[in-house]
Amino acid sequence: MSNQRSKYEHLMYPVDWLEERSGLVGGIKYFLFRKVPGDVNWFQTLGAATLTAFLVQATTGVMLAMYYKPDAKSAYPSIEHITNDLFAGWLVRGMHRWGASVFIILMFMHMGRVFLFGAYKYPRELTWIVGVILVALGLAEGFTGYLLPWDQTAYWATTVGININGTAPFLGPFIAQFLQGGEFINADTLSRFYAIHMLLLPAMIAGLIGLHLYLVIRLGVTSPPWSKEAAGGSNDSEPGADEETHG
Amino acid sequence: MAEDRRVFRERQFKQYKSDVKKRGKPFYPYVMLHDSIMSLMVVGVIVALATIWKWTTPGDHTGIVMHDGVASTEGTSGWLGKLNDDPADPGTISFTPRPDWYFYFLFYLLRIFKWPESVILGTIGIPTICVLLLIAIPFLDTRAERRPLHRPVAMVTGVLVIFSMGMMTYRGATAKESLGSELLGKVPVWAQKEGFATNPKAVAGAKLFAVAGCMNCHVYLGSGASNLGAPELTTEGAQHRGILFQVEHLKCPSCVTKGSPMPAFASQGQANLTLLAEFLEASQGPK
Amino acid sequence: MDPRRKTPHVPGPSLWPVGFAIGVAVALLGLVVRWQIIALGIVISLVFGILWIRDAAGRRGITETVEVESEYGPGHPGPTIPPPSTREKYPRSVFLELSTLGVGGVIGGLVTLPALGFMIGPAFLKQGVKDHDLGPVENFPQDSFVVATYMSDPAQGEVSRRTAFVRYNGLLGSQPSFTIISNHCVHLGCPVQPNGPVYDKQSKTFGDVTLIPAKPSGFGCPCHGGQYDSEGNRVAGPPVRALDRYSFSIRNGHLFVGAPYSVAKVEGVGSAAKIHKSAYSYPGEQADGVESWLYPIQPPN
Repeated sequence: MSNQRSKYEHLMYPVDWLEERSGLVGGIKYFLFRKVPGDVNWFQTLGAATLTAFLVQATTGVMLAMYYKPDAKSAYPSIEHITNDLFAGWLVRGMHRWGASVFIILMFMHMGRVFLFGAYKYPRELTWIVGVILVALGLAEGFTGYLLPWDQTAYWATTVGININGTAPFLGPFIAQFLQGGEFINADTLSRFYAIHMLLLPAMIAGLIGLHLYLVIRLGVTSPPWSKEAAGGSNDSEPGADEETHG
Repeated sequence: MAEDRRVFRERQFKQYKSDVKKRGKPFYPYVMLHDSIMSLMVVGVIVALATIWKWTTPGDHTGIVMHDGVASTEGTSGWLGKLNDDPADPGTISFTPRPDWYFYFLFYLLRIFKWPESVILGTIGIPTICVLLLIAIPFLDTRAERRPLHRPVAMVTGVLVIFSMGMMTYRGATAKESLGSELLGKVPVWAQKEGFATNPKAVAGAKLFAVAGCMNCHVYLGSGASNLGAPELTTEGAQHRGILFQVEHLKCPSCVTKGSPMPAFASQGQANLTLLAEFLEASQGPK
Repeated sequence: MDPRRKTPHVPGPSLWPVGFAIGVAVALLGLVVRWQIIALGIVISLVFGILWIRDAAGRRGITETVEVESEYGPGHPGPTIPPPSTREKYPRSVFLELSTLGVGGVIGGLVTLPALGFMIGPAFLKQGVKDHDLGPVENFPQDSFVVATYMSDPAQGEVSRRTAFVRYNGLLGSQPSFTIISNHCVHLGCPVQPNGPVYDKQSKTFGDVTLIPAKPSGFGCPCHGGQYDSEGNRVAGPPVRALDRYSFSIRNGHLFVGAPYSVAKVEGVGSAAKIHKSAYSYPGEQADGVESWLYPIQPPN
């Protein structure tokens, strides 16, 4: 063993170099080798699946941005160009288009799992709140991205969406006018939605995913509630458990 | 009492930490393998959806067909829908807007509130309340109990929410408006089923009936919108009210039937109204 | 207060920042309403700002004294050498702390305020609709609708395409009277459709204008089922007011369509109709009744 170690030791030099200067290797080791309850099950992979879907969206989105033209006159032709002329364009666009649906389904499934497991309870309340905000931002991504192909469905769905915001009391008309960048949907509306879709919202989502993961690692994941060996033991002795039937 | 609960759950979380330390397993490789398999499935599904979307598009899979030298997307729907719709046209008078499928529940919510005074409930009120409730869940449900069978209220609420969201998504997806262009294609079927195919006046009337917006409120042989509660007209002719009555009624419904909310169709002119009346009188129910 | 506590006494909350914030809000509101309100907002925020700074500075001084006195606590012999008679009111560390915050605030303000203005301003400034020529008045037969589509701003292209249902009502006095109804549903802005035959084959096109004769007995919305009569009044479904209309003018025998306005309801028909006008507002906003109070100010246009 020690022989092997010395034989391949030079391979570890870059890793050691990095660790000495940044401590990153230790952090990654902590992340990978941290203990989780022995009885976690398949439902608890939904969070990782959602993250994967987001990464697919981020990657394909960056690539689409290289060919897409956020301009009312050339958006539609550029989408057709991506779909029909460019090598694998249909695949990248299709993955982004359908990845959005998969991302949103997985967010809701993950949320349902957390609800079923009661995993939003003490001390994981903040994780839940960050998650709800992520769902809202994810839906906002879906809404802003829907306009970009600049076809009939896109245009009119966005009109309705903007006007829904417009019905908010007092500030509604101002929110609607801000969103469409003028009194009516105009040439600037598309680039505005494009900037929100690919710069503002993704940055917020990425930041909040970081916070979400930090909280998950800090607080640990729950055992399935029906597990006989659930970490943390049973709740039968909870004060007031018999008095209340709610929750 | 509240203090007891806080002490209990803090102790329980300490217990959790030590249980995990003693009996837990490392995240890598056990859990990470499961996560990776799941992620592979996710990517696989996404690629599969993209492929099906593109390669079930009829024709040359470009989603564009030429009609008389004009590019169009008509009839290019594959298994997962069109690649693109027609280019945005802010001046259209023949397009039926629909949102992406995951907003169907919101879309249907807007259709539920069909009274002007309640519009704000569907647009802002209910969605805002739902989001606030969602955020508040950890503070509404402060017990430590996590077993589903011991949380009847939470479980029933959860099932009801999932059921109603699913129901609203389904209703949103199948919601139909009666549009002239689509209904016009049904006229030959009506003529055959109701047996007025040999009556050219009734057929012309049926075409008018299809495009004049009658079916925004009335149902005819299963088509049309029942949302607003107007009577079904499939068997209108069986009451033998006569052409004259029908024309007068169309000209001014509230003059003939007191309190009728139906708008007047006098602007169609006597000739068109007579054709409509012929059609209504010929509609004696499917034979 | 516990005399042994080392931490300085935290001053109670002050109301001045609230007034300052209200002033800023009023000034921002003025940006979209009128300049006098901006001035009012600036005055309010200046007055409260000065009060706030004075207050904060005063408290700072008190806090420092408390800290120095409580360092030893009661019963402690205290320093054998008496403290210098003139103590620094603002120690160096407080000065550095305040100036760091101040410099940071200035940098933040310089970067974010113009950027925010750039993001928000253009959506509200220089709005407005230019009149558009729909051709000679003779194009419009009396008491019959024509579906007119045109580009309200040809420089922007197709995105500025508008559709209006135009009906010539004959002469009102010596002036021609027109009813020009917008095709945007006032529920949530979907494109309404004429309930009746549209004669595509008889359409006329010149420039960016297309005129198509039609015979609607009303208008219907394909999204959420709103229904209107031929004057644009709501008949059924969720629309909260009558369909918006466009203003018009006649120049050299041509019909010019202008800016849109909102309509609570229309009484009567054609040239005799009494139109309850209001400022152009977004779909879904009541033009009369209690719920119109929810939308007291409309963005300028």
